[in-house]
Amino acid sequence: MEFLLENILNLVGFLVGLAIGIVSIIGYRNTGSPTLFRLSIAFFSISIGFFVIWAGYMIEDFIIKAGSLERWIQTLGIAIQTIGYFFIAFSHSIKSLFPKSRYFRSVGIFPLFIVSSVHVEHIFRSVSFILLAYGAIETILSYFENKNKGAISVAAGLSFLALGEFLGWYSFVFPESILYFVSMVIKIAGLIALFIPVSKVPLTKIKFDESFD
Amino acid sequence: MAEYRTHMKIIGDILSTTRDDLQDEDGATVTYLIRKANVSHSRISRMLKILVSQGLLEKVNEEGSNKYKISQSGREFLHAYNTFSGFATNFGLTI
Repeated sequence: MEFLLENILNLVGFLVGLAIGIVSIIGYRNTGSPTLFRLSIAFFSISIGFFVIWAGYMIEDFIIKAGSLERWIQTLGIAIQTIGYFFIAFSHSIKSLFPKSRYFRSVGIFPLFIVSSVHVEHIFRSVSFILLAYGAIETILSYFENKNKGAISVAAGLSFLALGEFLGWYSFVFPESILYFVSMVIKIAGLIALFIPVSKVPLTKIKFDESFD
Repeated sequence: MAEYRTHMKIIGDILSTTRDDLQDEDGATVTYLIRKANVSHSRISRMLKILVSQGLLEKVNEEGSNKYKISQSGREFLHAYNTFSGFATNFGLTI
């Protein structure tokens, strides 16, 4: 059951990320907006991240048949997703994340080389949680400014993804519990909530940029 | 508090004015656009030059004064701008 749900989550994540990424890149090609460019990088990264994990499970299940997914594939997929979450947060002008001191910037990446891949996965999950929570807060704040109902859906989607990441991380503490299962269900709900406002974008009336392939 | 507008938003405002809020059928004067789009003279001059060179606006010389009208490409750009502006607003962003 967990394996099935994991596959559904990764496929939904791949497809939703791809769909939002494509809408964003079409928007960028038609308007030249850097915001849409950052959004397209964000959602293509999220899509690729989910795809890497899904492909890892498929290869493991049908070719290698080792019984469990290679830890580094899971870590790689989560890392790529984290890049996507970073670009969502970055679009909200996330500046305070970077330490001003050059010394802290240079040593900031150092811990990644002295911990095992399991710990690296924990780090990526916790960073993803912070970035998603930041994105959700900024999005809901924007709703109070312009009362765009789509922002509620996106904020709910990012919040669910953040909660899912948190529970997914916390399930390492209680590996046999229902937490990981719940985290996957919440993340699927989050991805669907993200897609709802995007599905209403009327692309049919857009005369596409001729140079867009 | 004054709202911060991105370069893209100002372009959208200029194009919207030339499409929906013209003084007369001949187009809008620079003074009219300055008032409607709320942009300084030096800035709007630069932007109008770019918009005309990109084919989004048409410059009409009417009785010795320059007037600006939106072109077909400008209408298409404005439609795309409005669509994707709404899309970005869903994410709490401004394009």
